[in-house]
Amino acid sequence: MSSFFLLILTTASFAQKQFTISGTVKDAQTGETLIGATIRIKELPQIATSTNTYGFYSLSAPEGVYTLLFTYIGYETISKPIALKQSQVVNQLLSSRSELNEVVISANKRNNDNVASPQMGLEKLNMSQINNVPVLMGEKDILKTISLMPGVKSGGEGNTGFYVRGGASDQNLILLDEATVYNASHLLGFFSTFNSDAIKDVSLYKGGMPAQYGGRLSSVLDIKMNDGNSKDFSVQGGVGLISSRLKVEGPIIKDKGSFMISARRTYADMFLKLSSDSVINGSSLYFYDINAKANYHFDDKNALYISGYFGKDVLGLKNTFGTNWGNATGTVRFNHLFSNKLFSNTSLVYSNYNYTIQSFSSNDSFKATSKITDLNFKEDLQYALSNNHSLRFGINILHHTIAPGDISSPESSSFNSKSTERRYGLESAAYISDEWKATQKLTLLYGLRLSGMMLLGPGTFNTYDAAGNTITSKVYTSNQSVKNYINLEPRVSASYLIDEANSIKASYNRNTQNIHLLTNSTSSSPTDLYVMSSNNIKPEIADQFSAGYFRNFKDNMFELSAELYYKQLQNQIDYKDGAQLIVNQDVESQLTFGSGRAYGIELFLKKKYGRFNGWVGYTLSKTERKFEAINNGNYYPARQDRTHDISVVGIYKLNERWTFSSTFIYGTGNAVSYPTGKYNIAGLTNFSYSERNGYRQPASNRLDIGATLEGKNKGRYHSSWTFGIYNVYGARDPYTITFRESEKNPNTTEAVKTSIFAIPIPSVTWNFKFN
Amino acid sequence: MKNLKIYFPALLIALALTSCEKVIDLKLGDDTGKLVIEGNLTNIKGTQLFKLTTNIPFTNKNTYPPVTGAIINLKDEKGNTYPMVETSHGNYTANDLAGIPGDAYTMNVFTSGKTYTARSMMPAAVTLDSITTKISDFDAKKRQVIIHYQDPPGIVNQYRVVMFVNHVQVKAVFAYNDDFNDGKYVHNEIRQQDIDVYPNDKITIEMQCIDKPVYTYWFTIMQQSESGPGGSVTPSNPPTNIGPTTLGYFSAHTTQTVSVIVK
Repeated sequence: MSSFFLLILTTASFAQKQFTISGTVKDAQTGETLIGATIRIKELPQIATSTNTYGFYSLSAPEGVYTLLFTYIGYETISKPIALKQSQVVNQLLSSRSELNEVVISANKRNNDNVASPQMGLEKLNMSQINNVPVLMGEKDILKTISLMPGVKSGGEGNTGFYVRGGASDQNLILLDEATVYNASHLLGFFSTFNSDAIKDVSLYKGGMPAQYGGRLSSVLDIKMNDGNSKDFSVQGGVGLISSRLKVEGPIIKDKGSFMISARRTYADMFLKLSSDSVINGSSLYFYDINAKANYHFDDKNALYISGYFGKDVLGLKNTFGTNWGNATGTVRFNHLFSNKLFSNTSLVYSNYNYTIQSFSSNDSFKATSKITDLNFKEDLQYALSNNHSLRFGINILHHTIAPGDISSPESSSFNSKSTERRYGLESAAYISDEWKATQKLTLLYGLRLSGMMLLGPGTFNTYDAAGNTITSKVYTSNQSVKNYINLEPRVSASYLIDEANSIKASYNRNTQNIHLLTNSTSSSPTDLYVMSSNNIKPEIADQFSAGYFRNFKDNMFELSAELYYKQLQNQIDYKDGAQLIVNQDVESQLTFGSGRAYGIELFLKKKYGRFNGWVGYTLSKTERKFEAINNGNYYPARQDRTHDISVVGIYKLNERWTFSSTFIYGTGNAVSYPTGKYNIAGLTNFSYSERNGYRQPASNRLDIGATLEGKNKGRYHSSWTFGIYNVYGARDPYTITFRESEKNPNTTEAVKTSIFAIPIPSVTWNFKFN
Repeated sequence: MKNLKIYFPALLIALALTSCEKVIDLKLGDDTGKLVIEGNLTNIKGTQLFKLTTNIPFTNKNTYPPVTGAIINLKDEKGNTYPMVETSHGNYTANDLAGIPGDAYTMNVFTSGKTYTARSMMPAAVTLDSITTKISDFDAKKRQVIIHYQDPPGIVNQYRVVMFVNHVQVKAVFAYNDDFNDGKYVHNEIRQQDIDVYPNDKITIEMQCIDKPVYTYWFTIMQQSESGPGGSVTPSNPPTNIGPTTLGYFSAHTTQTVSVIVK
């Protein structure tokens, strides 16, 4: 009987007219939109939503008098009474608050999104953590901080490449304001291309990628730039050991539009000048980058954003040799509210990566260039159908132009001018997903992505046999389709809430990849070459299953999670022995194809609030590859297969002025091939090898510490100092292990470990802000 | 072109002034006693030499046990067979034989109950014109060696260079092809870090014209010995032209040796 009444009641409540509350949530001081702020109705605890990338939210409730609660980590919670009689717009400003006061915030206002949301495999970093984590030479680095998360392995010293859940470093989709960044490293990988001054939000999806993302197998790193202060002008900057940076931001029209320009340049080459070695002091070695963004809100329904990035690295060795490389991106976005439930974003994105290598020597003077250019159109719609269904759907059309390599050289040079054919391709996708609150406890995020790849003429396209010989060769005209691939990518995640603080989640998703990096170096090299899926190269496919347990303690003060994953990879690419990848028209004949698998468990404990916060991450994993031509066709460990990985990050705010931080990492060594014998050929000692990657480099470990001293506030001027020591106890982690003939004991051979940054490296940065 | 990779580590080392090197003890596996065939057939009589040895554990002294008593034949494609004679332990020669550029040869090595075969094509000879030196870009006292030759246009050429400084062999592999300089008059700077070259040194260069599989063999060794940032390419045994697979190679190549005194 009682259940009958309940049924009537529910039906009645469904029948009741629903009104929509929508609006934008912003920072009260700067006017920056807040991403992922939570909005709930106190009286109807089952109704909650969060702001999207542009700070927009929409929720529905029947007529009534309510209290709206706006919460965002690090900000004062706002309770706002409203009388809901018709649909209305509620724009809200939130003020950031000192973390010192955080302990007194009543617990029920802290959110438990990490437990309740069906999203798994998501790591969010907030900028204050990035700013406090100690790093090499004091250069704040998003990618280095990301690699402290479980399931993410850094490429090692001098390498910003990262490996997510057994994926390769080219299987990460790195987006900066929706534009693909092809080479995320500066100075051959010692620093990342992202200047954290210009960055607002960083999200890394290791699994359960929502359907709006596609094109890479292993992860999505979605980075959003700051919009710029729409209230006041401000100038901030810093002077560090190897670089200086400056950011200017302010309103274009107060509260309607703003701009932000942020730039930095390194001056490591100034130190080179001090060297007495003429090779070193005659060399150049620097990078610079610029981030710029502007936005304008025409009204509550229409807004325009324009953003761009330009970065360049220059590296030269006296008057003999020079190389430079860089990314450029540009994004134009238009937000439009069709209704208070339907949010639309239209983007036009440009992305470019190019490199130049030049030799000035009279004998072999030449200039080699390579370039990849993308033009991308995206239409993304978010529809808050009801409080139980949020739909997201859209299309994506991406055009690639790849100039694999051109060499120009004067007649007197030993080299010929040579060029390879441009390659064109169109990647298109359509997707739909629904976040469905099926019951109070069960939430599903399910979707489908249909992705297509069309390789286009003009040009001569060959197919090769396994040995690399040309089987067929066909000439295509402009825009003629050479090869088509269509893939259906299902994505499903679900969370089941055991109670407010405990949940279990599971997900499955398929990702495909049609643009592939060929590199025969293990580090980030500027000569990276990209190829598209073709007659010879099939789309790479990854299927990932994951399951996890999520638990919060002490009123959401602590987050604990355990995630298991299994990933199967198809159509993986490696190159044959002796492959020549540079300016090679037949580069696809140099490739060999195989598969891979990866599985592991990630444990993560995070303290989110309070004076002391930080996290501990542990990953136990296995990553293997299988190629017919390698290791007798048996599975072998991938180089980045590191069994154990531990990272500990602690940040302690002593008082208003001093913040201390520390990180510690430990990881099993890379899987490598060591000699199992030696022999003499051509009068030289050579080493013989047995199984691929059958050995381990020694484990690595390192402790870094940092401190930030905030200056006293002097009116509109504020300054701070950041100090750091990288590798406090001078751990000599292996950079390379090489084998050679001994100089000391002729007629014998020895193994040599090279370590870099093997001594404590101090850094100091002075920061200022004027507004 | 490929030499350019050498610059990256050089710059990295400049950057990482904090680096350190240490000889370490590693427990390495032992997969030894395998046959190593080093088979060379040239276009000059009296230089044919096959060396048969086995590989040894990493920790042993560099003394490689010869494989004696093998039966080795060379065959051309006109039906002629040339037996080789063991003149000293593990060294086999055929004194009256000179390979003819343009002809292909097959080797048969019979040892320990197994027959190993390989085929190699002796390419047409390309003449090494001259050897010059220039002042090193990195140190005004040192000299950089340059070899000069006319690459024949329209055909694929591969070269291997063996360099000696005052009769001591430079410990490096130099393999080149004409991907980037087909038909050019080539000035090839022989870049190496093993032996510094100074005025009055005697430089001897042997230039070999090799076929493609042999080039891939040498080029793979060359790539693996370049220590790129973060380690070079994953090392493995270079792809041999010998079947069944064993260590070593069979190369039919032309040879020419030129010496100069550095000014």
